[in-house]
Amino acid sequence: MLGLALLSMIMMLADSRFNYLDQVRFYASYLVTPLHWLADTPRSISDSVNNNLQSRSYLIGENQRLKEQLLTQQYRLQKLEHLEAENDRLNELLNASSIVDERGVLAQVTGESPDPFIKRVLINAGSADGVYIGQPVLDAFGLLGQVVEVEPYSSWVLLITDPQHLTPVQVNRNGNRAIASGTQDSLHRLTLNNISDTFDIVTGDVLVTSGFGGRFPAGYPVGVVSSVVHDPGEPFATVSVEPTAQLDRSRNVLLVFRGDAE
Amino acid sequence: MAVKFSKHHGGWIIFATFAMAALFTVFPLPQWLESYRPEWVALVVIYWVMALPHRIGLFTAWIAGFFLDVLEGSLLGLNALALALVAYLALSLYQRMRMFTAIQQSSTILILVGIHQLLSFWVLTANNQNTAPNLIFMISALSSAVVWPFIFLGLRYLRRTFHVA
Repeated sequence: MLGLALLSMIMMLADSRFNYLDQVRFYASYLVTPLHWLADTPRSISDSVNNNLQSRSYLIGENQRLKEQLLTQQYRLQKLEHLEAENDRLNELLNASSIVDERGVLAQVTGESPDPFIKRVLINAGSADGVYIGQPVLDAFGLLGQVVEVEPYSSWVLLITDPQHLTPVQVNRNGNRAIASGTQDSLHRLTLNNISDTFDIVTGDVLVTSGFGGRFPAGYPVGVVSSVVHDPGEPFATVSVEPTAQLDRSRNVLLVFRGDAE
Repeated sequence: MAVKFSKHHGGWIIFATFAMAALFTVFPLPQWLESYRPEWVALVVIYWVMALPHRIGLFTAWIAGFFLDVLEGSLLGLNALALALVAYLALSLYQRMRMFTAIQQSSTILILVGIHQLLSFWVLTANNQNTAPNLIFMISALSSAVVWPFIFLGLRYLRRTFHVA
């Protein structure tokens, strides 16, 4: 017992402080990944059954809706391209480096942490797909989190609402910067740390990533401010933020690759 | 064949039960049910230690815990340590546990899994990874105790049917 206990303690220490054991975990996960696939089969079966059993009229309606959506998106994209080019030109005038191109690779959420207090999800893309630690993950509505562990065919994503996760953000309206951290109590709440009472922020402000720290590219939506409480007894204001990403419902997620990485 | 391997028999059944327990551990559950998920692997470890103490012990429990750590993506060695401790306690209790009634067994399970949960909690706290807001993580000890009689009967049926020894 003592020997095994000592061995586990050394392993835990090595795992948490250094990364000697990443290789061990990497190869051991070849053996356990099939279990994750198996655990996900009911969901993927129900997905495919749903896909196959849609009525014709529903599909026609959905097709119509998606076409309309595509049209409006394309219209906005045209404008965006123009703005991007203009932005690049202005940046050149300012002698700033041009914004790096990003491209996304689609992955699917196949599981979540069995520990209810650790907000992590498992996605079905791993080192075989070029996923790396620290890679930003988005869904259709905003920032979801970042990759914290890479296995051969899957990886773990730490959600932005995990208490251990900090996101550098800025207020879209005026560019004020802050740090958003996850909370213990809820999957759907972020708080801003150390916000002084004079900080210009109101309910409804949209927060986007600021790009500070170089981990998340700038400009992705993170959340919407849901309440700002100024308590005279507290040194800082209490700012609650509701994340825009659908943290518990997203099935399809987007892994962001920097254009210059490969 | 059976005579040749009479000493150790039915290893694949043991392996299959561990695999099923691991599968149930990562099976997606609704958010509100998540806290009530029993510690399946711990229960299977306790059963096999009770039934075959000469065969299943600390080492098996430790290996199962190691793979559980990889499966859950948790700190490597966390479940290994907790399950080895559970197996150690079960090894010292198995003679008594075999004589216990269902209620007594379940209360023993409550304590064993409770110790398992507390140990995980302490280690995570020491590693600054603990994010449990309160003692709700102990609920799974209770649910483990509740499902124990069924696990016990099911595994005993398997053991007798396939002559695992």
